[in-house]
Amino acid sequence: MGALAIKNVTKRFGDTHILKGIDIHVDSGEFLILVGPSGCGKSTLMNIIAGLESPSGGEVHIADRIVNDVAPKDRDIAMVFQSYALYPTMNVRQNIAFGLETRGVPKKEQDEVIARVAKMLQMDHLLDRKPGQLSGGQRQRVAMGRALARNPKLFLFDEPLSNLDAKLRVEMRTEIKQLHHRLKTTIVYVTHDQIEAMTLGDKIAVMKDGVIQQFGSPQQIYDTPANLFVAGFIGSPSMNFIPAHLASEGGVIGVSLQSGDAACFAPLLDSQRYAAYVGKRVIVGVRPEQWDLAADGGGLACKINLTEPTGPDTIVFTQINGIEVQARLHPRDARSPGSVLHLRPDMSKAVLFDPETEIRIG
Amino acid sequence: MSKPWRGVLYAVLLIAALYYLLPLYVMLSTSLKTMDEIRAGNLLSLPGAISFDAWHKAWGTACTGIECSGLSGYFWNSVRMVIPAVLISTALGALNGYVLSKWRFRGSELAFAMLLFGLYIPFQVLLLPMAQTLGWFGLARSMAGLVFVHVVCGIAGTTLFFRNFYVGIPDELIKAARLDGAGFWRIFLRIVLPMSLPILMVTLIWQFTQIWNDFLFGLVFSSGESQPITVGLNNLANTSTSVKEYNVNMAAALIAALPTIAVYVLAGKYFVRGLAAGAVKG
Ligand SMILES: Nc1ncnc2c1ncn2[C@@H]1O[C@H](COP(=O)(O)OP(=O)(O)OP(=O)(O)O)[C@@H](O)[C@H]1O
Ligand SMILES: [Mg+2]
Repeated sequence: MGALAIKNVTKRFGDTHILKGIDIHVDSGEFLILVGPSGCGKSTLMNIIAGLESPSGGEVHIADRIVNDVAPKDRDIAMVFQSYALYPTMNVRQNIAFGLETRGVPKKEQDEVIARVAKMLQMDHLLDRKPGQLSGGQRQRVAMGRALARNPKLFLFDEPLSNLDAKLRVEMRTEIKQLHHRLKTTIVYVTHDQIEAMTLGDKIAVMKDGVIQQFGSPQQIYDTPANLFVAGFIGSPSMNFIPAHLASEGGVIGVSLQSGDAACFAPLLDSQRYAAYVGKRVIVGVRPEQWDLAADGGGLACKINLTEPTGPDTIVFTQINGIEVQARLHPRDARSPGSVLHLRPDMSKAVLFDPETEIRIG
Repeated sequence: MSKPWRGVLYAVLLIAALYYLLPLYVMLSTSLKTMDEIRAGNLLSLPGAISFDAWHKAWGTACTGIECSGLSGYFWNSVRMVIPAVLISTALGALNGYVLSKWRFRGSELAFAMLLFGLYIPFQVLLLPMAQTLGWFGLARSMAGLVFVHVVCGIAGTTLFFRNFYVGIPDELIKAARLDGAGFWRIFLRIVLPMSLPILMVTLIWQFTQIWNDFLFGLVFSSGESQPITVGLNNLANTSTSVKEYNVNMAAALIAALPTIAVYVLAGKYFVRGLAAGAVKG
């Protein structure tokens, strides 16, 4: 069953078009991630789903019902805001109770709900404090608690972790994931952190300039990015974009790579699908972890310019076809700057882009 | 800050404080003297024997024109005027500020600009049209009319205070409350108003001072039964008797000023705090 469907939604503020025809479909119980750079319209879209702003065009369906004209409170959703938006003059208990109270939930039931939520999020000891007396992490917890107090059909999380420090963010990320497993409620979750996007989402919608660039599972988006923007946005360190000529050598289509004086020809898999591009310039996308050490001495002899040990891996920097390329190697295989390594790209995973349209080929 | 500078600073502050306190001292000491002592002594001397006769006279028996029953009637008139006027103008200001900052509508910026403009209209310009309006409403020369005038003239200022304060309240708070099912009034009463204590104090004090001290509207729009204390004080000081009773005049002036002084002493810290909270910028 469709939990949320957004059909050709647009939003204008005066003459500026913020959302330009958004289409999204989320099934019940799915965890949807909206990811994109700052200012691309993520919060605007969330507000439209919540009914806090009305779209300039298009339809919003929640649980297979058009809700364009339904008031926010009647949409059966709960939202966690980026700034938490806790009511500063009320203590935690009152913050959670406020929404129940306005909906006319009897006092006894309110107390039960508060007890349940407090237990779930382990915040019994915070109930009598005001938001001003809480740490950032605790406020975040309370904001979630307030959303959990109702059993909504849909949770909206607008960058709920962006104000937390790195360690807490990782902890809360896991907690949110566990919560989702337990509750199985549909969640729409905004972030501009691509690791959050990959780890939490069942589906990811990558947005830029008010347009969905790609909508799919995390693995789809990672393996077959629709365009250069998506390819560069998801993954850290970023995918390497190597400009190259597509050539055909003895019936095999591939690209030639050059590093310093060394050169090699890297044949592509299933290469006939690129036939139309033979002789043209393309951009070859190879992720840092898709480089292997060519133990046989083949591959491309690359001079190491810089290394960045991260612990489990070491990132080595080199120059290929005139641009800087990063390769993620086992620390055992890395060499110090100045030395030469024989690297071989895993062309079965490489993706090709048209340099003009920036769209993936094949 | 280094020591000598601190000394200079305190000296400057002390001089400024003395400069402002001196008139108060002169008024207070004069009001406690007898007329003989005033004629004999000098302005700055302390009263020889403290006498409250002048205060009694100013409150109950001094002549304000043909009538000789002191300022008490005027004082209670002012109380009856200032309480509703302050409360209504503050309440409307809070509501206006809430709408103009959190429930913007097409043209709300224009409405705000016009309100700001209202702040700069000299009140003298309003006298004739206002008199006409009061006549139409049947409120001419009545207490209700005077309250109405003060409310209307106070709204621009109170709206500005509250609007600037509410702009600082994050919109997400309102959105959260809307999702919680609260509407316009519930959000205002349960969420916004409880956050407004600093600006509420500033506005209440500000309006109280303005309205209590007003002379112009009191003089023009009230008569006999409904005149406020500022008009009473003026009448008292201008009633020609054979001798000028400085002690009575001073006592009367102090009676007129006492409520505002009391308000500042009791609630002054909220005023300073409210101002410091950046409440009244712009
Ligand atoms: N009420 C408004 N009037 C005019 N422009 C607006 C309004 N609200 C948002 N915008 C503009 O819409 C664009 C998208 O804003 P939005 O808040 O949706 O971005 P976002 O993707 O959530 O960014 P961030 O990651 O920084 O939160 C921004 O350029 C913003 O300036
Ligand atoms: Mg946002």
